[in-house]
Amino acid sequence: MIELVDVVKKYRIGIHEVVALNGVSLSVRDGEFVVIMGPSGSGKSTLLHLIGCLDKPTSGKVIIDGLDTSKLSDRELTELRRDKIGFVFQQYYLIPTLTALENVELPMVFKGVPKEKRHSRAEELLELVGLKGKEDRKPKELSGGEQQRVAIARALANEPSILLCDEPTGNLDTKSGKVVMDIIKRLNVEEGVTVVLVTHDPSLSDYGDRVVRIRDGRIIHAD
Amino acid sequence: MLIELALRNLARTKVRSTLAIIGIVIGVMAISSIGIFGESLKAVILENFKDVANEVIITPNYIHGYTSIDARTVRKIETIPFAETVIPVKSESALVEYRGKKTYVTVYGIDVRKTKDLFELERGTYKGCLVGSKIADFFKLRVGSRITVAGKDFRVTGIIKEGARFDINPNYAVILPLRDFDRVFNDKEYSMVIVKVRSIDKIDAFKKAVDKIVNRKENKVSVFEMKMIIERIKNVFGKVTLFLMAIAGVSLLVAGISILNIMLMSTIERTKEIGLMRAIGAYRETILKLFLTEALILGLVGSAVGGALSFLGGYSIDILILKTAKYVFAPSSIVYVFLGIAFGILTALISAMYPAWKASKLEPIEALRYE
Ligand SMILES: Nc1ncnc2c1ncn2[C@@H]1O[C@H](COP(=O)(O)OP(=O)(O)OP(=O)(O)O)[C@@H](O)[C@H]1O
Ligand SMILES: [Mg+2]
Repeated sequence: MIELVDVVKKYRIGIHEVVALNGVSLSVRDGEFVVIMGPSGSGKSTLLHLIGCLDKPTSGKVIIDGLDTSKLSDRELTELRRDKIGFVFQQYYLIPTLTALENVELPMVFKGVPKEKRHSRAEELLELVGLKGKEDRKPKELSGGEQQRVAIARALANEPSILLCDEPTGNLDTKSGKVVMDIIKRLNVEEGVTVVLVTHDPSLSDYGDRVVRIRDGRIIHAD
Repeated sequence: MLIELALRNLARTKVRSTLAIIGIVIGVMAISSIGIFGESLKAVILENFKDVANEVIITPNYIHGYTSIDARTVRKIETIPFAETVIPVKSESALVEYRGKKTYVTVYGIDVRKTKDLFELERGTYKGCLVGSKIADFFKLRVGSRITVAGKDFRVTGIIKEGARFDINPNYAVILPLRDFDRVFNDKEYSMVIVKVRSIDKIDAFKKAVDKIVNRKENKVSVFEMKMIIERIKNVFGKVTLFLMAIAGVSLLVAGISILNIMLMSTIERTKEIGLMRAIGAYRETILKLFLTEALILGLVGSAVGGALSFLGGYSIDILILKTAKYVFAPSSIVYVFLGIAFGILTALISAMYPAWKASKLEPIEALRYE
């Protein structure tokens, strides 16, 4: 369960103040697939980063599974991200020196999962995203779609209950975009993973149980 | 896995990492080679004194008005169980003449059976009058030459090998058997007693015994340990070595700065990666550890190679300056190699501290968005 209560996020650039989010309240039930849509600069990424505890709101509350994240220490926030949340970014952000398999293992390394176990889990996950046989490739030896699938596998490594996707298909062609979206949808349906996906691509709205529209840092329409 | 990650990161910038390692290699090599040399130099010098380390010199206590040691006192000293050899010595300044040339020298009277414990001979035998090598050079003496000491004639039976002692300078000495000395200088009392103590660690016990037996009523004699003088020498050479090593340490400092530099570059270049790792569950300490591990690897590799090469360096300097390499692998030299290695590793770690700290302080989202 994700709850945002009157969240405001302001950025300061020199003497100017940019209001990226201006009083956003939102709640996402467990197992729900929510698509957040809005034009560029509307505050979608900012919203997702706040949900994912990568950033802190200027005011308002972000509550994850009943935990008020503003009360957590940096260490606790790190553990929350590690154990409960999976991120998928538009730019994949794979570690270039590590193979696909090792990239997937990384969150488990941080969690202290024993080598054997994390190895076999990473293999399973890569198979799940259709990359069996490409475990030992470095990111640059994979296509964009494949890299994004590695990123999804990595996001799932520690069995998170929440998957946060920021324009996951933004850098992909339609076909590989569809492959990625189908994987995400399947995870939501079959594994019950809560998905919050932000995009400005209207064609992705069909995947969601619910679409939330955002503009100028405010939710304008929620159905 | 952290180590694996660190290794791959280092491999990513091979040239840079190699240069950093070379810096450490040179630094460690400089420090350790000089350490080895300093230690060898000390050993070579102390080699000259190794026979006297267990010696103690007993002199009259001039401050309390004693100018000589009487035979009774000598006999008392001889009863002390820790004394292995007791060599009472008489001395007097006297004019020595040979074929029209003359000079004042210190003439010593020592029991003929004991002179061999103090001096080595270049030529001849211990039986009679011995002369130091410088005296022999001065007068152009040979074994058999007849010299005049304080008006009495003596035949030179031996020429003392060049050497160094703290109590008697063998190079400028003229030594007579006690009986001859007494004949020339009318039964003078002893001016000092040289005692070889059974072993170095018995010296303190011996000194206590002297205080109890000889100095019971009055402080008649003073006791000097050769050990102390040797300690001083060791001390001075230790300081010289340290000073030289500090100079060599500058090269390690340079290596440290280069590590600081490449690590800073690395944190900047890898900002996004750091952000990503923080996003997927790496603690600040994990990032800190990652960077320190990278530095540690540079330090370990550089120091190990530098340590190994320092034997080569030490060997070369020793051969060049001391003409001997026998102390290169002495345990006391090897200590310096480990010291160099420790400094190398420490330098790498200390230099990486600031970049690692900086990397660990990055806010995840700012790092991820860094362009
Ligand atoms: N670190 C920052 N410093 C200053 N302003 C920022 C920062 N991050 C975001 N902003 C501003 O906040 C607003 C919302 O940004 P955000 O990235 O959330 O938009 P977005 O909806 O994700 O846009 P896009 O679709 O282009 O990714 C924008 O006006 C942006 O310029
Ligand atoms: Mg965005």
